[in-house]
Amino acid sequence: MNPIEIIAQYWPRLLDGTLMTIKLTFLGALIAALVSPGFALIRTHAAPLAQAPLRLYISFMRGTPILAQLFLIFYGSGQFRPILQDWGLWTFFRDPFNCALLAFALNSTAYQTEILRGGIMGVPQGEIEAAKAIGMTRFKTLRRVVFPHAYRIAWPALGNEVILLMKASALASVVTVFDIMGRTRQIFSRTFDFSIYLWAALIYLCITAIFVLIWRQAERRLSRHIEAHHKPRVAAQPAKEPQA
Amino acid sequence: MFELFSYGDTGWGDEILRGLAITVQLAIVTLPVGLLLGFLAAFASMSRLGPLRFLGFGYTTIMRGLPEILTLFVVYNGVGLLLNMALRWWNPERGATDFSPFAAGVIALGMVFGAFAGEVLRGAFQSLDKGQTEAGRAIGMTQGQIFRRIQLPQLWRFALPGLGNLWINMLKDTALVSVIALDDLMRMTKVAVGVTKQPFTFYLLACLIYWVMCVLSELVLYWMERRANRGIRRAV
Amino acid sequence: MSQTEIILKAEGIHKSFGSVEVLKGISLEARKHDVISILGSSGSGKSTFLRCLNFLETPTSGKVTVHGNEILVRNGKPQNVRHIEEIRARLGMVFQQFNLWTHRTVLENVMEGPVQVKRQPKAEARDKAEALLKRVGLEERMGMYPSQLSGGQQQRVAIARALAMEPDAILFDEPTSALDPELVGEVLKVMQDLAAEGRTMIVVTHEMGFAREVSSEVVFLHEGRIAEQGPPEEMFTNPRTEVFERFIAKVM
Repeated sequence: MNPIEIIAQYWPRLLDGTLMTIKLTFLGALIAALVSPGFALIRTHAAPLAQAPLRLYISFMRGTPILAQLFLIFYGSGQFRPILQDWGLWTFFRDPFNCALLAFALNSTAYQTEILRGGIMGVPQGEIEAAKAIGMTRFKTLRRVVFPHAYRIAWPALGNEVILLMKASALASVVTVFDIMGRTRQIFSRTFDFSIYLWAALIYLCITAIFVLIWRQAERRLSRHIEAHHKPRVAAQPAKEPQA
Repeated sequence: MFELFSYGDTGWGDEILRGLAITVQLAIVTLPVGLLLGFLAAFASMSRLGPLRFLGFGYTTIMRGLPEILTLFVVYNGVGLLLNMALRWWNPERGATDFSPFAAGVIALGMVFGAFAGEVLRGAFQSLDKGQTEAGRAIGMTQGQIFRRIQLPQLWRFALPGLGNLWINMLKDTALVSVIALDDLMRMTKVAVGVTKQPFTFYLLACLIYWVMCVLSELVLYWMERRANRGIRRAV
Repeated sequence: MSQTEIILKAEGIHKSFGSVEVLKGISLEARKHDVISILGSSGSGKSTFLRCLNFLETPTSGKVTVHGNEILVRNGKPQNVRHIEEIRARLGMVFQQFNLWTHRTVLENVMEGPVQVKRQPKAEARDKAEALLKRVGLEERMGMYPSQLSGGQQQRVAIARALAMEPDAILFDEPTSALDPELVGEVLKVMQDLAAEGRTMIVVTHEMGFAREVSSEVVFLHEGRIAEQGPPEEMFTNPRTEVFERFIAKVM
């Protein structure tokens, strides 16, 4: 079979897989995005002792392979099956999709927390003082000054993290989730036609490219007010001599 | 419970250590391959020749956008297919040979490392202080001397944090080769799980081992960065 | 004035960046022991001109001759590229931003040129470097890295690095402009000593005191041309052009 025939025959499965990849990535990134601001605040403001569990969690998530984390949740939960059944949680852990989503969300939360922490620390102290000086409450300062600025700083890194998560979502195929990678392996095992991998690669690249475009567009919106002040300088333009 | 991890017939300590050895070997062999590819990619993408630049950017962009596990399968199955085709052409009698999963792992992880390293190295080149290059030219050093004596030693300093991250990522990515049946730490853990029926215990152990390796790497990198920054006072 | 040896000769140097012509035909001759100060407001092209002399900038057209090495430039293309490194080895240069190699110690910075470019034996280069560092008053700091020194000390190291090449002439590109005011003096002092020793120097500077007291000739650039040129005393007491008069009124 040639590459065109393969895609003509199997495109519905690949499309199905693509939607699954997007769903996994989007939900994982979203859950992490909801949790990470709180964690980031703990990392920047809490006492060192209070931070310790969080730091341990982040270090663990960053220091172990996602595949191992996924196995730990998906297969590892089996060891506690009776307890989980008692608590009514077993139906959740029995489903590979749920386990993959949980693993990715936990992993991405760790990374997003650190990225956001960097953003918060990058907010100029003067802006925070100015907010205090006009009598903003702590909460209001965070909401109106610190977080908007921190997200602007962290935006490119957060985009990278989403792309990394999208790539990592391919691991879900190992625990029988039928995302792009899962569908591709399934089709390959039936046809032994190598070109299906190249189609998969193309789909991943397209998703990345589209995502990058959307993310940049959003970044431009976030930083519109900055650009106006930074017109590119004309190089080597000799200054006029000041009038005496 | 601890006899599970003991060394010998009763425990899984020796199997898991053997897997760990494979994981470490894989990472150590991949590093020079990836660095070489990284330098080639960096030079290509800074080249004055259009096609070479296109090649460099194409490689780094595509590689960085693909899931590592896909790259691994493409290399394992693709190169395996090509290898078998070549072998059959050479000797039609011969049956199918399996492409070594270790070699596939080195090539795939090396290609991924190289693509990211290419970007790190290019960035490092661009952050070198132009004035120091100029000072080299001003005393009549050749382009080669400037590269070896001034740029390369400082390149290291700019590239080290990025390369260090890539090393840690690669160390973790080695876990993927368990999927193509290389008996690394991850796969030996899986074997142990299959027999003992204690998945959580053993996967947690595997995680802890990876964690220790990553933390140790971070410590070594921290020490290397401090050494590389001798002579540079950090802005307070 | 006796006819001493011509060290450096620049003829009709033009330089354009895109459509902007920064240098519009500048000629200059430096004889042995000359100390030439090049003055001008920012944007007058004085630094660009200096950088054209050792081809850190390639002139659009013109001719530079140093010790018989002649390089003619037409349409931005030097005719004899092989002479460039020779010329650079003969002209020392001191930069505004010092440009010391941050990964090498003070001593290594000074030794680098003699060892790598002139292929001198290490021991010899080391002795000479030590002597030069002593001359600029930094013998105590030889093992330190540039970042551990003040700006003035760094610039003195940079001067020692230039001297180590035993140059026929030294180009100074605003050597004190990046320094805190209290550090300017120590660098000027070293430069003054070099002048007294009979070194040939071409100095782009904003230090009017130096131009007036130390240099043997002052060149004033205005909008890419030499507007006025002559012995400092005469020029400063009796400016012939209105632009130079305005310039001194503004800076002094």
